[in-house]
Amino acid sequence: MVRKIRKAAVIGSGVMGGGIAGLLAGTGIKTLLLDIVPFDLKDDEKKDPAHRNRIVKAGMDAVTKSKPPLLMDKKDLDLITVGNLEDDFDKLAECDWIVEVVVENLKIKQELLKKLEKIRKETAIVSTNTSGIPLKKMSDGLGTEFRQHFLGTHFFNPARYMRLFEIIPGEETLPEILEFMADFGERKLGKGIVRAKDTPNFVGNRIGIQGIVKAMQLMIEDGLTIPEVDALFGPVMGRPKTAMFKTCDLVGLDIMAHVSQNTYNMVPDDEQREAFVIPEFVSRMIEKKLLGKKAGAGFYKTEKPKDKVIRKVIHPETFEYSEYEKPAFPCLAKAKKEKGLPAKMKAVVYGDDKGAGFAWKVMANSLIYAANRIPEISDAVVEIDNAMKWGYNFEMGPFETWDAIGVKASVEKMEQDGFDVPENVRKMIEAGHTSFYKTENGKVFFYDFESGDYKEIVVSDNIISLNILRRVDKVAKTCGSASLIDLGDDVFCCEFHAKMNAINKEIVEFMADGIDYVDANAAGLVIGNQAGGMPGAFSAGGDLFYMGSLAQLGRFSEIDAFLKMAQEVVQKARYSSFPVVAAPYGLTLGGGCEVCLGAADKIVAHAELYMGLVEIGVGLLPAGSGCLNLWKKFVNSVPESVTGYDLGKFFIPVFMNIAMAKVSTSAADARALGFLGPNDRIVFNRDHLIGEAKKDVLKMVDEGYAPPVRRKVKVLGESAQGMINAELFNMLQGKFVSEYDVFLAKRIAYVIGGGDARDGSEINEDVILKLEREAFVDFWKQEKTHDRVEHMLKKGKPLRN
Amino acid sequence: MRDAYIVTSVRTPGCRRARGAMKDTRPEDLLSFILKAAMDKTENLEMGDVDDVMIGCAFPEAEQGLNIGRIVTQLAGFPAEVSGATVNRFCSSGLEAIALSALRVMAGWSDVTIAGGVESMTFVPMAGNIVRPHPEYTKEHPDLYISMGITAENVANRYGISREAQDEFACHSHKKAGKARDKQLFTEIVPTPATRHVQQKDGTYKKETFIVDSDDGIRADTTMEILAKLKPVFAAGGSVTAGNSSQTTDGAAVSVIMSEEKVRELGIKPVAKFRCYTTVGCKADEMGVGPRYAIPKLMKLAGMDIKDIDLFEINEAFASQALYCQRELGMDKDKVNIHGGAIALGHPLGCTGAKLCATLLANMKERGVKYGVESMCIGGGMGAAALFEMCG
Repeated sequence: MVRKIRKAAVIGSGVMGGGIAGLLAGTGIKTLLLDIVPFDLKDDEKKDPAHRNRIVKAGMDAVTKSKPPLLMDKKDLDLITVGNLEDDFDKLAECDWIVEVVVENLKIKQELLKKLEKIRKETAIVSTNTSGIPLKKMSDGLGTEFRQHFLGTHFFNPARYMRLFEIIPGEETLPEILEFMADFGERKLGKGIVRAKDTPNFVGNRIGIQGIVKAMQLMIEDGLTIPEVDALFGPVMGRPKTAMFKTCDLVGLDIMAHVSQNTYNMVPDDEQREAFVIPEFVSRMIEKKLLGKKAGAGFYKTEKPKDKVIRKVIHPETFEYSEYEKPAFPCLAKAKKEKGLPAKMKAVVYGDDKGAGFAWKVMANSLIYAANRIPEISDAVVEIDNAMKWGYNFEMGPFETWDAIGVKASVEKMEQDGFDVPENVRKMIEAGHTSFYKTENGKVFFYDFESGDYKEIVVSDNIISLNILRRVDKVAKTCGSASLIDLGDDVFCCEFHAKMNAINKEIVEFMADGIDYVDANAAGLVIGNQAGGMPGAFSAGGDLFYMGSLAQLGRFSEIDAFLKMAQEVVQKARYSSFPVVAAPYGLTLGGGCEVCLGAADKIVAHAELYMGLVEIGVGLLPAGSGCLNLWKKFVNSVPESVTGYDLGKFFIPVFMNIAMAKVSTSAADARALGFLGPNDRIVFNRDHLIGEAKKDVLKMVDEGYAPPVRRKVKVLGESAQGMINAELFNMLQGKFVSEYDVFLAKRIAYVIGGGDARDGSEINEDVILKLEREAFVDFWKQEKTHDRVEHMLKKGKPLRN
Repeated sequence: MRDAYIVTSVRTPGCRRARGAMKDTRPEDLLSFILKAAMDKTENLEMGDVDDVMIGCAFPEAEQGLNIGRIVTQLAGFPAEVSGATVNRFCSSGLEAIALSALRVMAGWSDVTIAGGVESMTFVPMAGNIVRPHPEYTKEHPDLYISMGITAENVANRYGISREAQDEFACHSHKKAGKARDKQLFTEIVPTPATRHVQQKDGTYKKETFIVDSDDGIRADTTMEILAKLKPVFAAGGSVTAGNSSQTTDGAAVSVIMSEEKVRELGIKPVAKFRCYTTVGCKADEMGVGPRYAIPKLMKLAGMDIKDIDLFEINEAFASQALYCQRELGMDKDKVNIHGGAIALGHPLGCTGAKLCATLLANMKERGVKYGVESMCIGGGMGAAALFEMCG
């Protein structure tokens, strides 16, 4: 039997259940979403399906309206069927996977599972998304066959965005089922799999909550302020910007306290059980309903009088909110100057000011706590690290952090400061091992406490790590902003590694050489990278600063020359003798979008793709072939035998994408907007992206790749101007656009239309490219474009002028 | 010149574009039906007696393209000798067709003509399927292609028509229309067969025919509160909403016009005399003011005073322009659009001129009055008006 999930069911339509249903639908799985019939139905409502489904309907509405959106595409709703647990229970018999996300109450879950045992089909997998109730208790008294197909599958909220997916075996779960769900979670749902054990709060929340609550306790002991703690445990430590307290505000103080209390109750033997007792002032806050973002106030509160934004923080004694200064500690100042996360972390934890002292205590405590949890909650350091990276958006998990600050040095300091260094770590050092990880011959190994030796990290064949390839000399060419990396099988990857991967002169020049190199030495090229972050940036645009300085000096011919070079590189890649696949993810804007549209034979995109040609926001237009290639993507999709169609219908969405700077909210949305075509592919796991792109390169090679033939392009010609002039007049009259928007948009219509060509004529691609460059240079001569650029560089937001 | 008599004037119901009862009914079918209905209602008239058929249409393309005036005349069963034409003066097309046809009779060139209008805004969207404003002219004169909604905003802003006044006008239009429908006062409507594509059990579709007997855009239960909630659609911070604008609609209407000799010969009791018609230009960006200039011009032409007129049908393209014209001309509002207007009943563009003729004559008959004026505002900046005199 080849196991498949043809149809899934989610029971419980709260934000988590609804989110899971939305994610499943996004991957194309038909999903049944069930919830209870409301208890308080009036007599006349008891037979009305609309009333009986009121709870699930409300859950679904919340999913539809959520921001950021839980659905990748509104059309995904078509795949979700809603119902209630009384009238629609029989439908569960058709499902291959049933996941329960009902209220965290043992009795309710037991009763539900008992019913599911009767209805489930023989092969169906049943899982629980509980975050705290032991699976053992839940499945107590159920038959062997059920228990063999029962496991924990723990999503993190919001299900669409959080990568962590904990797989928890029950006592009798078949290995085959665990394997299948891990593969399904990784490949199909794009999640990062952590194999946990049936212990309280599993891996992510056990470590995560201990870290937060302990830090709160120490904050009070050491007399630090909330903003100080957040400054110390934010990006400088490779943690998200929301650091500790802002994260709590997002999650909700009540939820955090609930998980914490739950853990406390269930871990009587934990040596740090007291680290799960939330400080008094936090309990008081919960009583006062200061629950965080959902309540409008938590540790922080944002006030928005008129056009201003005022950020305030609570005082733990008075419970009053006041404005705060950006915290300053010498260790933070030092860290700012350091390059690379390990150096920054060291600067903080080994500093000698008050903040550093606190940071060290918190860090040492959490590293020790993590080491003591092996093998209790997981057998391997790598699982714990992954859980923290994927579930809490840490850049480094505890053991990676430990390596980064130096295991030996930190353990010595721990001993000096009277911490109990875990036995397993002490033994590791005694045996002469000073790091939890090491790389040898392109393979990464982790230290296994049990065997006292290093073990290879086994990842799916589909995962290619550019970092590892870099470490084993697979770099064929490199420069400050980009590298050409050998992926094996005669396929190379052109990797950007500039700031936000903005396309700069160095990248353009590098790509030109790289294409020649690939032509001479390889079979095909992937354009992709693995810059970190949420959502991360494949490429956030073009190098505005560089072009802005040329424009300031009036060196317009150099701007033109730079654009020409960029356009030529894109065209060169497109018409080269080898296949090119672009692998965008996250922010793929402006120049980054142009590279994908223009250079690649095919786009293999990550499901989280925020793609768009946004140049108008800074008073510019796509001039690295973006106008040409988005137009081509639309108009070349028409079979040759179709004639006499209205090019205006193709022109309008292309024009709107560019003139309104539309950015997709997902890869599915990018397809709807036309940035992705029917030939392009969507991959859910970001770590698989380069590997999947490589597969497509090899497939094209295998099929006998022939480059596209350079043909003339059919354009709307001057008709575009008439259409847009008339419509922009209306928009201007209606005050929906500014005079300058109109100025820019008219010129953009001129470019996409192919200038003053006749409606329906076929022109050389070079004509549109020339019009792109001319318009771009002319825009740089406008004061208002400079104002827009300056605003963007300073504030990171577009200016409407 | 001879007199031209309208002997029959009928219309289909007006149904909402894309969602209404006639969304699956092709414009040819609407027109063909109403032509035959007009023939049936005109005693003793043979199809062969008709000299020419003129049909107004604002976007005469695709389903209502080629020459729908000729095509449908033939589809309806008129002999090959009966000619047909399509007439376009945008929103006054239907009235223009009636005027031209009446003029043929008045000149002695024809004895019997049929004139009317058709528009399926479902099948052919406003502005047509292919829009191609002139690339150079639009640089200097984009106002010639201006959106009708912006012209309504301009009228509201320039002449001080408040949002509240517009909403109140719209609300009133719906109330009047609802009452008239309930009292079955729209006697000019002929229940019309409409088509729907019904999915069968096996998934295939089958065309079915059903009868539509009333306008389906009337919201008699609307209130000022409901209308106040709607957002302006044409301008940021504007006052023109979907609620105080006319509805986009499907419909057809025709009138049979005869000379006095023919009326006598067939022994018909005519309804009204078509007295005169005029058009006038105004600024394109406030086209809705058209009636304010067309009506006085018409009065001058007829040698009459506006006070002599007993009933008006002023097309409610937008509440702002209808209110403005009413105010400027000092009209008694109890004489204007007594059973509601296009805000409630719909505005099937090229059909409306012919549709309002049928409505006006029915209302004049109901009230037993002598003089009626129909007036239209027209995209591109024009007004049109026609004078009807009831036969005693």
